Amino acid sequence: MNKNSGPWWKAPWSYKESFAVVGGLIASGIMLQLSIGNFDYEIIRYPVNIYLLILTLIIVAVLTLRHKSHLFQWLAAVPLSVANISGLLLYSIIMGLTMQAPANADGQSALGFDAVTRSWPFVIVFYFTLLNLSCVTARRLLNFHWRDYAFYLNHLGLLVLLYAGGFGAADLRRYVMHVEEGATEWRVYNEKDDVLELPLAIKLNDFYMEEYIPKLAIIDRRTGDAIPNGNPQMWQIDTTRTTANIAGWNIQLEKYIHEAVRKSDSTYQQIPMPGSCPAALVKVENNVAGFSQSGWICCGNFAQLYMTMQLNDTLSLVMTRPEPKLFRSDIEVYTPDEKTYQAQLEVNKPLRVGHWMIYQYSYDADAGKASAYSSFELVYDPWMTWVYVGIFMFLAGSIFLLWEGNKKARRKKA
Amino acid sequence: MNISWDHFTAFAIPVLISWLLAIITVFTSKKRWLNNIFTLAGIVGFATFIVLLWISLDRPPMRTMGETRLWYTFFLSTIGFVMYVKWKYNWIKAFSLVVASVFIFINILKPEIHSKNLMPALQSIWFVPHVTAYILSYSFLSAAAIAAVILLWQYKKQRETTTLEAFTDNLVYVGFGLLMTGLLIGAIWAKEAWGHYWSWDPKETWAFITAAAYLIYIHVRLRESRPKKFTLWLIIFSFIFLMITWKGVAYLPSAQGSVHVYSE
Ligand code: HEM
Repeated sequence: MNKNSGPWWKAPWSYKESFAVVGGLIASGIMLQLSIGNFDYEIIRYPVNIYLLILTLIIVAVLTLRHKSHLFQWLAAVPLSVANISGLLLYSIIMGLTMQAPANADGQSALGFDAVTRSWPFVIVFYFTLLNLSCVTARRLLNFHWRDYAFYLNHLGLLVLLYAGGFGAADLRRYVMHVEEGATEWRVYNEKDDVLELPLAIKLNDFYMEEYIPKLAIIDRRTGDAIPNGNPQMWQIDTTRTTANIAGWNIQLEKYIHEAVRKSDSTYQQIPMPGSCPAALVKVENNVAGFSQSGWICCGNFAQLYMTMQLNDTLSLVMTRPEPKLFRSDIEVYTPDEKTYQAQLEVNKPLRVGHWMIYQYSYDADAGKASAYSSFELVYDPWMTWVYVGIFMFLAGSIFLLWEGNKKARRKKA
Repeated sequence: MNISWDHFTAFAIPVLISWLLAIITVFTSKKRWLNNIFTLAGIVGFATFIVLLWISLDRPPMRTMGETRLWYTFFLSTIGFVMYVKWKYNWIKAFSLVVASVFIFINILKPEIHSKNLMPALQSIWFVPHVTAYILSYSFLSAAAIAAVILLWQYKKQRETTTLEAFTDNLVYVGFGLLMTGLLIGAIWAKEAWGHYWSWDPKETWAFITAAAYLIYIHVRLRESRPKKFTLWLIIFSFIFLMITWKGVAYLPSAQGSVHVYSE
């Protein structure tokens, strides 16, 4: 900030001019916001965003050709960078403190505080930061040194990411599709719950699910809460360590069946089928209460009744509903160019088809394993490859940064 | 040979002892190789358990909370070791080994946790590197915040501070590099699990705020030969943002319904 004591607006511009410009941009953004409301990303949908991108690159190229000009020097220097990042920081703090309206709803706040990413000041500062960062990177590339590789990876990676993420936001589409087992579907719901038809079709061959072994808990029948009150202790059923103690009640696991079906005489047998559910034979003892009993308990599902063990006037031993461990859809995807893709879709294992990503989304939670349908999320994002390029460059840059540390400090020390 | 959780304590005790010796010798002995040998012995012993468990389970041990903790312990101690070799900071060795040991203790003392289930979205190879990078990043950035406070105090007393200034910068650079690594891995993971790499969820927004604040520090510092008081305050503010991102977001009214706030 040494050069900052000079008169205002006299080249070279430094911190105070940079903050004034960013402040001015925010002020114009606020006025736009007040007069026409949120920025509508639809106006920069393809191909407009491509034109805008090319225009931006031309502006940067022209500026770079005149790299000795004060304008370029200012656009490529630290003070403006700090001012822009501060502008983004300010708006992200507002975003972090205000409940944001969902993407498909309009904000209520006149200043756009409840839809910050769609508010004019944010969009303008974001775009100006892009110009700024482009010039920073261009200036360093003009004066190329291999030893600056971490700088290039960080700044270029972030630049690619911001371009693809920013301009691409307008083209991104997300849909949800529900497909019955055995059926083929191409109708989807968008974020506003309208039904649309897609060029893609998905056939669900099979939905498969595994559940975790459930837990045992003792509940107070009057309230339904597990005991001890406030700090409920549940025992994760364990077939190797078969004893547990919950609040003085000793539990001994004698038999556990993961896919059980009830026989007529309130015992259970193993039958793997959609309507089966976990059941356990336990022996419960409490010396203080003089209680000793063994019996079956079962958590129940849509097809079978649950079974509990009454311990005294108020307490019962129950089994919790099992949590999902894995769910998988065996699907076939048909595209307009008559290609077919096969996949086993799981959470964290999406399928990529062209610019589409298909995700395992959900299923009929009440039916669990027996769910007759599976739901998928389909995300269309033609900019995705560039986003990944940006992320991986930036990631490499960050790893080099943590490895190299502060070069300047070491150079000074040496 | 069928290794199971029943053998965990048998592996864990020698590991804990050798790391305890490493922590003691890192502060008491000038011979770096000594504490490095203790550290490495522990890492190798621990890795052996993971490998044997992996073989006997016939799948990578990553499905339960307890299994996940194995990786925290392994990566924290290993990366802590590498960072120590690289930067020679005693505290980073001590810190990473203490936190690695805490994860071991949790696995010994709460054995039922072994089968604490992971929901499918958390079953990802990105989970462990994401969390490990953050834990280490917090340690460097906390150290930076402490260093900034000391510097401010020494400025007041008008003491000589050049070495500490360079050290502080370095802590921020390394900590910020780790923070961005954790963040970007998180973005890749979010894309795989939820379909979008960045959705301005409150936790993500605060992570952005934190990153922006540290970026301001890094860039402001480029033009200063020595940090101004204001610049040092930037480290402290950034650290407060970091704490809000880590712990505070769940309490913000804007965060009701955040996908990243897991209630245990
Ligand atoms: C909005 C985004 C950013 C802008 C506008 C920006 C701007 C700048 C500028 C103007 C410089 C000085 C370059 C020079 O002196 O030639 C610089 C240097 C630097 N920036 Fe950034 N930067 C941004 C993001 C980042 C990010 C994300 C990182 C780290 C991950 C980063 C790390 C650095 C480092 C380490 C230097 C020093 C490079 C060196 O001296 O070799 N910057 N940046």
